[in-house]
Amino acid sequence: MFRRSLCFLLIIFLSLPTTVSAYIPTPEENELLTTIERDTLQYFIRLSDKNTGLTRDSSRTGSPCSIAATGFALAAFAIGNERGWITKEYAYGRILSTLKVLKEKAEHQNGFFYHFLDARTAKRVWASEASSIDTALLLAGALLAAQYYPGTEVETIAHELYRRVNWRWMMNGSKFICMGWTPESGFLPYYWDSYNELMLLVALAVGAPENACPPSTWHDWLRPEGNYNGHRVIFASSGSLFTYQYSHAFIDFRGLKDQGNDFFENSREATLANRDFSMSFSEKHKGYSENSWGLSASVGPGGYKAYGALPGGAIHDGTIAPYAALSSLPFTPELSVAAVKFFHKSYGKSLYGNFGFKGAFNLDKMWCADEYLGIDQGISLLMLENFLNDGAVWKKFMALDAIKKWRAVTGLTTAPRETVSPGLSSGAATQAASPLPQ
Amino acid sequence: MRAKIAPEDFIMTGNRRRRFFINKPLQVRYMFAVAIPLLLICCTAMFGFYLGIWGGVLGAFTDEEMRNDMLTASRMVEYEQARYQPSKPSFSVLSLFRETDKLSQRQQEVLQGILNETNRAILWKLLLLLAFTAWGSIFISHKIAGPLYRFSKVFNEVEAGNYRSRIFLRKGDEGHPVARELNEALETTDRLLSDLKNALRDPNQAQALARIKEKLDRIKTSADV
Repeated sequence: MFRRSLCFLLIIFLSLPTTVSAYIPTPEENELLTTIERDTLQYFIRLSDKNTGLTRDSSRTGSPCSIAATGFALAAFAIGNERGWITKEYAYGRILSTLKVLKEKAEHQNGFFYHFLDARTAKRVWASEASSIDTALLLAGALLAAQYYPGTEVETIAHELYRRVNWRWMMNGSKFICMGWTPESGFLPYYWDSYNELMLLVALAVGAPENACPPSTWHDWLRPEGNYNGHRVIFASSGSLFTYQYSHAFIDFRGLKDQGNDFFENSREATLANRDFSMSFSEKHKGYSENSWGLSASVGPGGYKAYGALPGGAIHDGTIAPYAALSSLPFTPELSVAAVKFFHKSYGKSLYGNFGFKGAFNLDKMWCADEYLGIDQGISLLMLENFLNDGAVWKKFMALDAIKKWRAVTGLTTAPRETVSPGLSSGAATQAASPLPQ
Repeated sequence: MRAKIAPEDFIMTGNRRRRFFINKPLQVRYMFAVAIPLLLICCTAMFGFYLGIWGGVLGAFTDEEMRNDMLTASRMVEYEQARYQPSKPSFSVLSLFRETDKLSQRQQEVLQGILNETNRAILWKLLLLLAFTAWGSIFISHKIAGPLYRFSKVFNEVEAGNYRSRIFLRKGDEGHPVARELNEALETTDRLLSDLKNALRDPNQAQALARIKEKLDRIKTSADV
């Protein structure tokens, strides 16, 4: 009997898929991360217009509304409701009113919204462009919210907004999707033709029910490879960490094989390279250390810059954006948790506020941002939700018909999952539950 | 008898000079002596104005509403630059104003634009000032170099035996009192020598000798020592 049981257990053990070493957050860490997620939600509650629902780009006075931040807000309200932090009436009401404004009032061109809108009128401001990537982030948030409220008006309007986008028009007769269009100058001379945050945009464009881009739009963009400190990365030209995170906030790339590439693993390698890069400058910049890393586009002492690391552009001046390490939680949980704890413990007094972590800090210049950015808070919240709540966002988003279509037409194959662990549920910091690979 | 001066003996006819550089080394030295301090004063004053103007401009940026607008505008541009073309920082005149380090990229661009425009406006004014200074120093030095030249020329003529030469200066030239005294001295000497010459023409030699002696007794020379 004992021998048979032993053999049975051995067979079970051998039949398990190869697992990557998993990190199990302690109850204290779990509590801290949950607190951060809940506080971050406050950004969207407080800084979204009460009438239009449009969310401000930044907490800074005078900031216009950003459609990308609004997309994150739609997702955040649904998640907040799911987590029990806000009521269904409140969340659903805010999402529905925002979607109605987007459908009926917000200025757009062929379904593409202008990057910045006036909070009260939903009209274009600051001569901004009808932006393809920001529209994609908005639609991703809307479609995600629709998944939380199936069979409701929210779902109906979200899909209407998605359907009315003419993705082919934004290709401007080229192989790639253009970055934007303005009434004054027409199409911008920039296209999404190389790896960066484009994957979410192209996935939605290819998977769209109407006026979809051809599958070649997915296959044709460049996948440049680079290597830093032993980390092989298909890299973005800026080297900014956010480029490896945005698409992953919604799309679960784990196990998806694209021309032999694993973009989840790629983001993990990019995160490690980014950390290694900043650590190599730790003697030059006081703010860089093993637990203080994250070079990504953010505000800095000299304005907003696309900070980044090798491989790719490596603009850096000692400025660290806390959201960067935090949003890599699914890729490098142990390192990211350590960084988040360090930021919170060491600099929390000036770096952490009512809406979570502020934009960035720079110890060399004794500078700390006094503002929060909507997109930084958005990516933080979604990545926290995926990490803490068993990939909840991924599960909802991957179930969309558009995503299924994108996977089907592009031939993205599914490799055996490397992790099968059930994941953490809200507040359940059990040692047995390990959500993601390290 | 007073000697008459022929028109050709005038160093200059009328009140105009044909040549501006009468004594070039002296005038050039004078130009530097005048022009450099003048330029230094002008530059110091302009720099003071410059700082004052920029202090005002920067002060205006502290206005909250304008500051917010500038920040938002700058953020829009920074977003575009971050997304499309990361730009590398380069040295600019703005680095003279350290407070601009605190401003965002867009604000620095706006200030840089104003600064460049101001610099261009000041540059051609500075060139104009330089030309005026050069012209002014030539004009002023001319009023000194001209008289000196005339003094020198008259002395040479006297040395050559022409005691009818006189110094004539233009209105506005320096050295009028000295020229007047020298002309009086020349006139006295000319009159003495004329009297001596007239005495020599006297057929009565004894009387002529007495007249000459009388004239020479009044003057003192090295021979009297």
